[in-house]
Amino acid sequence: MRANVWSGRNTVQVENVPDPQILNERDAIVRITATAICGSDLHLYDGYIPTVKRGDILGHEFMGEVVETGKGVSNLKTGDRVVVPFPIACGDCWACRHELYSVCENSNPNYGIAEKFFGHSTAGMFGYAHITGGYAGGQAEYARVPYADVGPLKIEDDLTDEQVLFLSDIFPTGYFGADLCDIRGGEVIAVFGAGPVGQFAIASAVMMGAERVIAIDQYDYRLQMAVNRARATDVINFSEEPDIVEQLKELTAGRGPDAVIDAVGMEAAHGHGALHALDRAKQATRAESDRPHALRDAILACRPGGIVSVIGVYGGLMDKFPSGAFMNKGLQLRAGQCHVHKYLKPLYEHVKQGHIDPSFVVTHRLELDKAPDAYEIFKHKKDDCVKVVLTP
Amino acid sequence: MGSRASITVLRSREELERLWRDARYRPEQIDHARARVRFVEAPGDRGTEIHVELEPGVSGGVLGEAVRKLRGTEPLAKAKDGLHRFKQQVETGVIARSDGAPEGQQLRRQLRQRPAQPLEHDELQRAGA
Repeated sequence: MRANVWSGRNTVQVENVPDPQILNERDAIVRITATAICGSDLHLYDGYIPTVKRGDILGHEFMGEVVETGKGVSNLKTGDRVVVPFPIACGDCWACRHELYSVCENSNPNYGIAEKFFGHSTAGMFGYAHITGGYAGGQAEYARVPYADVGPLKIEDDLTDEQVLFLSDIFPTGYFGADLCDIRGGEVIAVFGAGPVGQFAIASAVMMGAERVIAIDQYDYRLQMAVNRARATDVINFSEEPDIVEQLKELTAGRGPDAVIDAVGMEAAHGHGALHALDRAKQATRAESDRPHALRDAILACRPGGIVSVIGVYGGLMDKFPSGAFMNKGLQLRAGQCHVHKYLKPLYEHVKQGHIDPSFVVTHRLELDKAPDAYEIFKHKKDDCVKVVLTP
Repeated sequence: MGSRASITVLRSREELERLWRDARYRPEQIDHARARVRFVEAPGDRGTEIHVELEPGVSGGVLGEAVRKLRGTEPLAKAKDGLHRFKQQVETGVIARSDGAPEGQQLRRQLRQRPAQPLEHDELQRAGA
């Protein structure tokens, strides 16, 4: 089959590789009909995630048609249309039983690598380096899906691929970021990053009843999408005025937002002055893996007693964590790779009911064979790119 | 300290003690004649802790141990693999296999992963999948 593989920093290529096979009785094979490039794929592309290897098939957002099932998979049959969640979760361990699917205790065969980096192992993930298991990803014609009796969501209506594809990651991830903010109605929520995940975090915060949602980015076209499609009430463009913390205080009459969502992660573009230069230099020389301006500013901007919700991906270590602000303001720091399985059905219901059409983020559609071009377009935000969908 | 391994499995103590004796589950990576195994009820709803202590000297000398530690073939690494595989078999019924680690959990393979892309048929057979 054809598959998009990592072949060195800033390089991917579409190659012929063997077709996947059933390895366990709980596996299924899916013929992929749509797959997307995620912002976190760029962290791999840029070489910031440890343990990625030449030849790894990338991609963790995909959907398609079941073509084969292992004998332990009774809920799916050949021909079923499914969306596949990006974390690989067994459904049986203590974590899965408590809906903490992204920290499944059994799905990562490389638990030793993960323990070295994180202290504990976390769940396996599709197409996301060997620290999360070394599973082939979904930017390919076919994928093997482990624990297929637990993960895949059956799509049984005539919604298009683009309307349901993002249930695999970015819609639940954005929703999870808002869910961590304990929104009860009337809050002010600030969202760092108006990329695809940020768009869904904004839309979700609005759906949950936040009164004002402030989108923060450096690109006007993304901020326009945040207002027009995700229904943000305010925007901050930090390319025009770099002091985000001060602007958030102004917009809230000094209080600060009740909760702040970091939908940026380890490769933040904003930040200024000597600290930014130091972070860039340390990250370039791999002395610091994470460039954490968004997280620092989120902590400084959040109102005392508020919540900082981290859904942007970090990979290792950061410098100059504002521990004084964090402690003295009494903040709660909440984070995680999304427990997608928990949100699949309720969010699918929102899509079916027409409360949201997740396809609004799609700006580019290319064939799988054009993946190298697609990565460049996405990385450099050419042609006002927000989200790229690839079709095998 | 260096010769102990442990894991928590979401099953009752009675069931785990029974499965530990069952040839279909009993971890072959552990030299059972030279290991002391304790089953302890875990706090709350966590299931049962399994503690394995390897007999001193089972590793075969300081130098031999250092070499095997590097390769992940020392008895302790194998015992950890065995515990993880036991937990997987008991909780999920399968061994977690990926394209990069088709044999499942093996500490000795972790630094020599194959790329995360599907295997050829003969590779699969060698990996026991």
